[in-house]
Amino acid sequence: MNTNKIEIKDLTVNYTENKRSFNALHNVSFGVGSGEFVSVIGASGCGKSTLLSVLEGLYSPAGGSVEIDGKELRGTGTERGVVFQHYSLFPWMTTKKNIEFGIKQARHDVKRSERGRIAEEFLSKVGLTGFGEKYPSQLSGGMQQRAAIARALAMDTQILLMDEPFSAIDAKNRVILQELLLKLWEGSGHEERKTVVFVTHDIDEAILLSDRIVVLTAHPGTVNEIVNVPFERPRRREQLIKTDEYGRFRSRLLSLLYNDVAERIGGDEVVL
Amino acid sequence: MTAAKRFVRVTHILFIILLGIQFIPDSSTKETFTASLIIFISGLEAIVLAASVFIKKEKSLSLILDIVGFIYAFLIIWTLATAKFNILNDLLFPAPGKVVHQFVEDRDKIWVNVISSLGTTFEGFILAAVIAIPLGLFIGWSARVGSAASYITKFFSSIPPIVYIPYGIALLPTFRSVSVFVIFLATFWPVFAGTMSGVLGVDKKILDSAKVLNVSRCEMLFSVILPASLQQIFLGCNQGLSVSFILLTSAEMIGARDGMGYYVKYYSDFGDYTRTITGLLVIGFVVIIVTFLFNMLQSYLLRWKK
Repeated sequence: MNTNKIEIKDLTVNYTENKRSFNALHNVSFGVGSGEFVSVIGASGCGKSTLLSVLEGLYSPAGGSVEIDGKELRGTGTERGVVFQHYSLFPWMTTKKNIEFGIKQARHDVKRSERGRIAEEFLSKVGLTGFGEKYPSQLSGGMQQRAAIARALAMDTQILLMDEPFSAIDAKNRVILQELLLKLWEGSGHEERKTVVFVTHDIDEAILLSDRIVVLTAHPGTVNEIVNVPFERPRRREQLIKTDEYGRFRSRLLSLLYNDVAERIGGDEVVL
Repeated sequence: MTAAKRFVRVTHILFIILLGIQFIPDSSTKETFTASLIIFISGLEAIVLAASVFIKKEKSLSLILDIVGFIYAFLIIWTLATAKFNILNDLLFPAPGKVVHQFVEDRDKIWVNVISSLGTTFEGFILAAVIAIPLGLFIGWSARVGSAASYITKFFSSIPPIVYIPYGIALLPTFRSVSVFVIFLATFWPVFAGTMSGVLGVDKKILDSAKVLNVSRCEMLFSVILPASLQQIFLGCNQGLSVSFILLTSAEMIGARDGMGYYVKYYSDFGDYTRTITGLLVIGFVVIIVTFLFNMLQSYLLRWKK
């Protein structure tokens, strides 16, 4: 097997909040192959967002290491595109200016005059043609996340880190955005796919999008299990959710998530 | 809006009353310049009628009409109490027509003084803003000295800037430079404090978002933190601006040779209360216009906010 694009080894992260230090992640290890889409799921407080902060370079681990292309990760870097749940875009820049700013930071080879054209191209890819001159506050939450995705893609990074990007979006638009991301990531099959680490607490979202799913257990955050998603690509949600296989796979994931919760609550009295 | 809603308004009735009472014979012994007042109010009414035709939003039209209505009502009382029935002392209370006349007669002198006052204010204000904003960004951003600096700021901003005037006179060569110095101090601390609190209040999510884009230190300060704290900076600027006008006119009354404060002080020393009131009204208008323009700049620069 090839060496992994991202290699996480025995990662331990301590978090200090209100002068109390606690163990957010403990000995987490997994790898993400080049062009692979990996989701990290877990109950709230399991450290899945902390894990992503480390990958983003915003938080330093207490132990273990993260390697990208075999090199140890140090701090932030524009070889990784990031989409947050909130405020990925600067509110004082128009949508187009935000994308141009991302391109300027990540792609030094692109001329200033080229940036506008590339920004327009990616706006149209996410269905925001004509919204380039709008400020983020003038867009709906779903449109803001489309623009954030457009920026991350326009930066043309090999790695994409997404921290619950659709959690704050209403159910209907969330489905639309998931399909948009799936379509953009799967592409036509000719170009190289991006390596994605996607954090979510939505099981269906994780199944639809991912090649593999890392299930985290809380207090401290450790890897419970890493599951291969057995469904063929390109995937279509409507076809996928009708199959029995999907139902079985989904309940397996649910039990991985909730057995853990049941154990924690105290065993016998809890009937799931 | 129907034609009735546009044109049948209390404001116009007040105008007719105001116009009508001008024809009551004067009982004041002094010259009242009724003709000047009639020209002035007719001009105002013409503007209001033009606004009634062109303004589309009922709310904004009502606002203008109500403001002018208040002015008319005030002028009615003023005219009756001075020119027409001479209830008030006509040495201390000039008739409104007289003030209008005085304004027209003194327009060149007033213009020179207004320009002088504005020049001094902007010099001090802009100097303060240009120094306080970058300094506030740097110091607020370096978290370690940030909180220490906020105590120092609290101390200095609690000194009323007007008490610097005597020392300023000793330090500086001209009275104008003293005024600039005092306005500088009055603006510097609120803008500096506003900038620092803006920097300290920037949402961590915005900072993270900038960090993952690998922005340079300079970009972080001027392309991210500056716009993100702009609203707080404007709060400080607004405070500085309003204190500046108070200080400037005070300073001008103490020792200047020009400016609107000087104009008011000079003529009230001579007992020329017509010019005193004219000066007061002009100061009011100038401050309103400057504040309005400054607010326009603020809403333009913050147009990206909801």
